[in-house]
Amino acid sequence: MERRFSCTACGKCCHGMLPLTIDDALAHADKFPLVVMWTPVRQGGRSFGVTAELGVTIQLKKRRLAAVQIAPTAYIPPSLPCPELAEDGLCAIHARKPQRCRTMPFSAYRDEKDHDDLMIPRSGWECDTSDQAPVVYRDKRILDRNDFDVERTQLLRDAAILKPYAEWLLDAVPSLRPELHKAALKPVGGRVPVAFSTLIPRLPKVDIYAFARKQVPIMKAFAERTADDPGLVDFHQWYVDSHAEWEKVASGRP
Amino acid sequence: MAQCPCGSGSGFDECCGPIIGGAPAPTPEALMRSRFAAFVHGDLDHIENTHASEVRDTFNRSAAESTAQSVEWVDLEICGTADGGADDDTGTVEFRARFKKDGELMVHHEISNFRREEGLWAYVDGKMNPKGKPRRVEKVGRNAPCPCGSGKKYKKCCGA
Repeated sequence: MERRFSCTACGKCCHGMLPLTIDDALAHADKFPLVVMWTPVRQGGRSFGVTAELGVTIQLKKRRLAAVQIAPTAYIPPSLPCPELAEDGLCAIHARKPQRCRTMPFSAYRDEKDHDDLMIPRSGWECDTSDQAPVVYRDKRILDRNDFDVERTQLLRDAAILKPYAEWLLDAVPSLRPELHKAALKPVGGRVPVAFSTLIPRLPKVDIYAFARKQVPIMKAFAERTADDPGLVDFHQWYVDSHAEWEKVASGRP
Repeated sequence: MAQCPCGSGSGFDECCGPIIGGAPAPTPEALMRSRFAAFVHGDLDHIENTHASEVRDTFNRSAAESTAQSVEWVDLEICGTADGGADDDTGTVEFRARFKKDGELMVHHEISNFRREEGLWAYVDGKMNPKGKPRRVEKVGRNAPCPCGSGKKYKKCCGA
């Protein structure tokens, strides 16, 4: 089985949420409204094994497990473009863009053998999968695996920080576990966004005041961008609350 | 003289003051108390200086400072201690530290692990909101003697 794929730079995949490595999140803290996204995958679900390896597992009812992916994430509504998607439809930060974007259409959050659907363009996307496009995936193997391997290496390194963080937060915030249970029961799209401020104490080199000053304007911008859309009220409220939280941190020290 | 914020009832200068000033803490509990008092005073140096070596590499000073600033500490309750004696090299302290954040009363409940490093007690890590031991209920058999001491069978007495 072969999959052909060539990017036509249509920009359609540059919309919505973008999981990031810790370093990419910190490097782009002035560009993206950041959260830590907790996404449960039920036992038997897609890439359960790799998700458990990179994140944590929680006990569900009836002795079932869920693996939880824990990813710093640019929290952008699915209908909105990446703030760095320029007018000409190209990436404004191409040279410095996150590893997640570089690895497309592959994903190191998935098992290598579980990639077939990623090379089928979603509705409205203009990916070239015709005979003119090169073969990129054959017999469940990625042919040019450089970016996939780079991203996987970074995710494994992040896991050393994110796993103990997750265990600690599950103890510290008792309401998180039932929220994850609820999210795990949803047929699709179940996930729990958690404030990025919970992760900062685990990142010794990050100055929380400088980080807050970067997040304040971007949270404000996204609060404004989502203010008039009734479909985005949840996102809007998140940006408003996060803006207030970071503003408070930033004002703690000049 | 100012009372010590750790709630011991003694003055700060006879209680946590000297330990924050650099005197060795005799027990993990004393160190725990002094770390709470240091948080109340915003003295993050003491917090950082009393971490075990591996914690020093992962401690985010600015985040701890920001947290200390954003809360109003109310009081500290030591719920129990284990080990941590003169002959021990490890010890645990269970505590509840109450604080107000955005006007809301909250509690930080933790069992902390301490280790002796070069003779001095140091904070290693902790388990937040530890679960208590599960409650065990002994079931009385219907034909067993009634626990009230009447001598009758349980089913003929209190269990009727």
